[in-house]
Amino acid sequence: MTQTLITESKVLDALRSVMDPDLKRDIVSLNFIRNMKIDGETVSFDVNLTTPACPVKERLREQSRQAVLSQVPGVKDVRVNMTAEVRRPPAPETSRIKGVKNIVAVGSGKGGVGKSTVATNIAVSLAKSGASVGLLDADIYGPSIPIMMASSGEPEVKNQIIEPVTAHGVKLMSMGYLSGEMPLIWRGPMAHKALQQSLLGVNWGELDYLIVDLPPGTGDVHLTLVQTVPVTGAVIVSTPQDVGLQISMKTLRMFQQTKVPVLGIVENMSYYVCPHCGGRDDIFGHGGAKKAAETLGIPFLGEIPLDPAIRKHSDTGRPVVLAEPESASARALLDMTGALAQQISIQAFRTIPLTIIEE
Amino acid sequence: MLTTPEQRGTPAEIRKQGGAGMTIRWQDGHASTFGARYLRGRCPCAQCVSEVTGQRLVSEEHIAPDVGIESARTVGNYALHFSFSDGHTTGIYSFDYLRRTCPCPACSGDRPAADA
Ligand SMILES: Nc1ncnc2c1ncn2[C@@H]1O[C@H](COP(=O)(O)OP(=O)(O)O)[C@@H](O)[C@H]1O
Ligand SMILES: [Mg+2]
Ligand SMILES: [Zn+2]
Ligand SMILES: [Zn+2]
Repeated sequence: MTQTLITESKVLDALRSVMDPDLKRDIVSLNFIRNMKIDGETVSFDVNLTTPACPVKERLREQSRQAVLSQVPGVKDVRVNMTAEVRRPPAPETSRIKGVKNIVAVGSGKGGVGKSTVATNIAVSLAKSGASVGLLDADIYGPSIPIMMASSGEPEVKNQIIEPVTAHGVKLMSMGYLSGEMPLIWRGPMAHKALQQSLLGVNWGELDYLIVDLPPGTGDVHLTLVQTVPVTGAVIVSTPQDVGLQISMKTLRMFQQTKVPVLGIVENMSYYVCPHCGGRDDIFGHGGAKKAAETLGIPFLGEIPLDPAIRKHSDTGRPVVLAEPESASARALLDMTGALAQQISIQAFRTIPLTIIEE
Repeated sequence: MLTTPEQRGTPAEIRKQGGAGMTIRWQDGHASTFGARYLRGRCPCAQCVSEVTGQRLVSEEHIAPDVGIESARTVGNYALHFSFSDGHTTGIYSFDYLRRTCPCPACSGDRPAADA
């Protein structure tokens, strides 16, 4: 009787039939397979994805297992360990914050659409999935994130470097800490310095994602951001009432003009969930953002309901994805974050490094 | 092949020829070669172009023929910043602007003379 030999290359060949649905390449050529061990009839390996928040993680695990079991003769058992390592898009080395892999801006056409609420829940959801996350409140006119994250206390300063506060597993910095008591009209000119300091003068450590809550509209803070650090991409938050999304369009153009890839649009306060019966009511005629996204060829990341629980948990400083993770609203936010994490991974693979070659 | 404005204004490769100038090959395949003096004379900063009237205040004829690029760096994903040997460092040249300013005969033929 001949014993069929299980080799690493046979296993890899089988795994080449498994595609990452977002990056549209097989998981072997994407270099996802790590630590392969062959022990008798048992094969084990890691599938190292591009984000721990990957929504298709379980599907890929099962497909990998099946591929090896069905295509490699002699294999009786396959152990797939799903791991993740957030990739860093290529960018000029000098302009980066050391240790921060992806900077993601959250913008909106106007205030009050839930931009900070969405940014906070994105940050906490990513941290919950196992990623290391920072959240920078760059809305100098209405800093609200410290409240939404129940973080009183001010950050400490050691040797001119600001130590961020940690809340719910997320490192926090608010430009509100720097502008504090300053009258509103002075804040504009101060914003440039304050943002630079919040990006470069903070001990962020190693971060997979730094989420930046931008002020609403278009303006100087955005320009300072893109001139100071490479931004992986931006998320636009809008509501069904944004008339024809006119205002969001201006924000969208601003990102495009500064070559910040738009990772997607989120429609917040999209429909109403009755707190008593859980029934859904499309009070505003939702879906405008989705249509606009399709027309513009921009990913649509999801619809978040108008739910008093979202506001209640924001006000008390424990985002709904932590306070009521099983609720429909939390699930909508978690799914939206998963879709965003996919888009960030895609972007990291798509970005062409821009370096100046000296001849 | 049809190309998008996005590709037209996005570099595929940036090469710098010492202080003399630079060449940008764009994602649609077109290449633009800029001399240092040409670039310096088209600086888009507020000292060189009036913010109020949009009128150009400093143009190529005001610039020494031997001006050079001392250093160049990328700004985010969207622009280049130059330090010129005459000490001028305030211009941020967006890639869209650089593409619109391409000096090649094909591109400058498309432009009104005042711009070229
Ligand atoms: N989906 C939602 N359902 C219910 N309330 C919401 C929702 N999104 C945001 N809110 C509430 O709306 C108000 C404005 O949200 P906020 O995130 O501060 O907006 P922005 O940052 O765009 O100004 C807050 O009171 C917040 O709790
Ligand atoms: Mg806000
Ligand atoms: Zn100038
Ligand atoms: Zn040309």
